[in-house]
Amino acid sequence: MPIWLELLVLMLVAYAAGLAIGWSIWGRGATGDDAHG
Amino acid sequence: MVVPRSPYLALGLGAALVAVLALAGGRLSGPDLAAKLESRAAAVIAKTGGAPVRAHFATARGSPSRHPVLAGGERLDVGTRDRVARAVAAIPGVGGIRWSDGTALAQGAATPVEPLHCQEDVEALLRSRTIRFEEGSARIDAASRELVDEVASALRPCLGSIIAITGHTDASGPEPGNLALSRERAEAVEAALVARGIPADGLRTSGLGSRTPVKGLEATDPANRRIEFSVIATQPIRPTPVDTPGPR
Repeated sequence: MPIWLELLVLMLVAYAAGLAIGWSIWGRGATGDDAHG
Repeated sequence: MVVPRSPYLALGLGAALVAVLALAGGRLSGPDLAAKLESRAAAVIAKTGGAPVRAHFATARGSPSRHPVLAGGERLDVGTRDRVARAVAAIPGVGGIRWSDGTALAQGAATPVEPLHCQEDVEALLRSRTIRFEEGSARIDAASRELVDEVASALRPCLGSIIAITGHTDASGPEPGNLALSRERAEAVEAALVARGIPADGLRTSGLGSRTPVKGLEATDPANRRIEFSVIATQPIRPTPVDTPGPR
């Protein structure tokens, strides 16, 4: 596997993980506020 | 700054940005990283005694990679190949090792065939015992039949190789007679082995009379009367196209 492809996979996985963490911290709170708003 | 309304568009743009950064980073740093790994691998290979081996940190298309292909180790033994592969794999940052002539294992693609161990096994059998013949005759002595059984068992793993059976005599008596007797005795041993399941087309017989006495012995020493076995050609069994399953 070329280095650029390994880097691409790692960074996309990190991006997806960051999104998942961000959604779990802030996403639910926003949905809850919206539901009550 | 333009703020996308659709969250999916934002996510897509974010992924695209990550991809562009990854590609740029890979293209810029890849060749440098591969060159550093190659020089470290060369040093490690020289240290482990795998001198002809070279590590190529590149894919088949030439892109820099941290997974090396090791080449030049075709003539090395399995132990050295294993040592070299482990040493290169231990370098920090190196990924999976592959040999150019085989798999990730130390062995090459071809199955190693070692027919000479049969010769060694037979020589070990005949070191302390001799196939005896009746006086002046090519008839194998009854007491030697068990030894011939053991020789046949030792030769069985070498089926597919050509085995030479050479008869020798001592220097007593006329040489033409010795030549004929040594050849007849070799043929008698061949017949005995064929009767025990060794294929005849893998056996070659010859008689050398008293021409090649045992090193260190006088030509007239009775210990020169002997039968010698040697593997003179190797024919490893390879699968034919019929053996390989085709597509369904």
